[in-house]
Amino acid sequence: MILGNYLAAVGLFCIGLYVVLTRRNLIKIVMGLSLMEASTYVLMVSLAYRAAATAPVLASPPAGKTARQLVHGNVADPVLQNFCLTAIVIGVAVTAVFLSVAVRIAQHYRTLDADRVRAMRG
Amino acid sequence: MTRTGTGDDRALTRAAAREPAEREPRHRPWLGALLVAGMAAALGAAIAGLPREHAPLPFIARYALQVALPQWKLTEPVNEIVYGTRGFDTFGETFLLLAAVISVVIITRPREPRQGYFGESAAGAREQARDDPAVGTSAAEREARSAERREAGDQAPGDRGPALTPDATPLGTPAPETAEAMTVAVRNPVRVVLPILAVAGLYLVAWGFSPGGGFPGGAVALGVVLLIYASYGRRKISTVIRPGLIEPLELAGAGLIIMTEFLGLVLKGSVSANWLPLAQELTPLSGGVAQLFSVSELIEVGTGLIITVFALLGMSHDWARPDDGGPGGGEPGP
Repeated sequence: MILGNYLAAVGLFCIGLYVVLTRRNLIKIVMGLSLMEASTYVLMVSLAYRAAATAPVLASPPAGKTARQLVHGNVADPVLQNFCLTAIVIGVAVTAVFLSVAVRIAQHYRTLDADRVRAMRG
Repeated sequence: MTRTGTGDDRALTRAAAREPAEREPRHRPWLGALLVAGMAAALGAAIAGLPREHAPLPFIARYALQVALPQWKLTEPVNEIVYGTRGFDTFGETFLLLAAVISVVIITRPREPRQGYFGESAAGAREQARDDPAVGTSAAEREARSAERREAGDQAPGDRGPALTPDATPLGTPAPETAEAMTVAVRNPVRVVLPILAVAGLYLVAWGFSPGGGFPGGAVALGVVLLIYASYGRRKISTVIRPGLIEPLELAGAGLIIMTEFLGLVLKGSVSANWLPLAQELTPLSGGVAQLFSVSELIEVGTGLIITVFALLGMSHDWARPDDGGPGGGEPGP
């Protein structure tokens, strides 16, 4: 049942959120954000799933079916697969931004502890 | 880059002592758990309303399935959505990627101009010594600079020179490992796998029925470069993987995407419309502008990911004192 996948995505998101809220180490915070990001991939791929559906590929349709029948038949949602595809690539770049900021903070303040970056407190 | 005094050993020791302790303040776990429980409840309520596995496909998905073959000659609806139906969204996402890459470049770039990603952190050392000759170096700094010189191949007197591979290192040589490349047991399999991986990446892009084409192809390009870097060392890639070549390529990819999308507006009256002739399905030219867009994405994503990864790998040590100005100083440490 696909509800299990949805719950897994929520669980993954909550683990990431817990890490972001409770950890002070910047690298761990970035790891938490990556977990939250990964949970959206799980959710999108799960949302695309349809019971007993075929992949949204119109080449080589299953035996006894034509591509036109496939279009009107039971296939997985290609739009959410597309979302997932682009989100993964952008997620990598955004994680790189987080990590480069973390490295610069570590060089600047000599610590990875978010609680000790005093200047950010105003 | 600024040299520091010999008293920095104590400062570095103090800084190390300030590293985050694994023991967190007591209020964090329970307060975090409370907030996460609230979020979990909200998300749990939200997923109750999500479509399940027996729900009909939304209109946009059904539309993409219907137009993929007759209008784009694409047998892969995901590809049609990425570069056709949702082409303008992909256009926006691409520039989100470009913004992230530019952010990484700005954050990681050192003050001195660089020709490559590695080994140039000592570019201003002569000027630094001339401007501030009285400042000595700490033992930690000397050790790190020595390691940097070995990495850059600019061997300092008395340094143990870098072995090209671990195969060339005599048995019993003490750590740390200084070889640039991995052993023959790694290099030979990589030599076999690399062409296969590169061809697979190009195949994903060249054939119009591969999902997304340029996006996974770009990720494969990064994988190929990282495999060479990890197994053969940075010298193998230093002539190609350098900011002077990769960054203009990245911008060329972005320019090609802009041209592809806006020529649709000029020639067909709609951004992202197809303005190229369509070939037979299951051939490399079957998608019209989808294929051109896909190749542009290969350039954009491939170079963008390479820039971000190597900019991070090339972030140099910064030995400025906490009370110095510049990127390593500024605000005093806690």
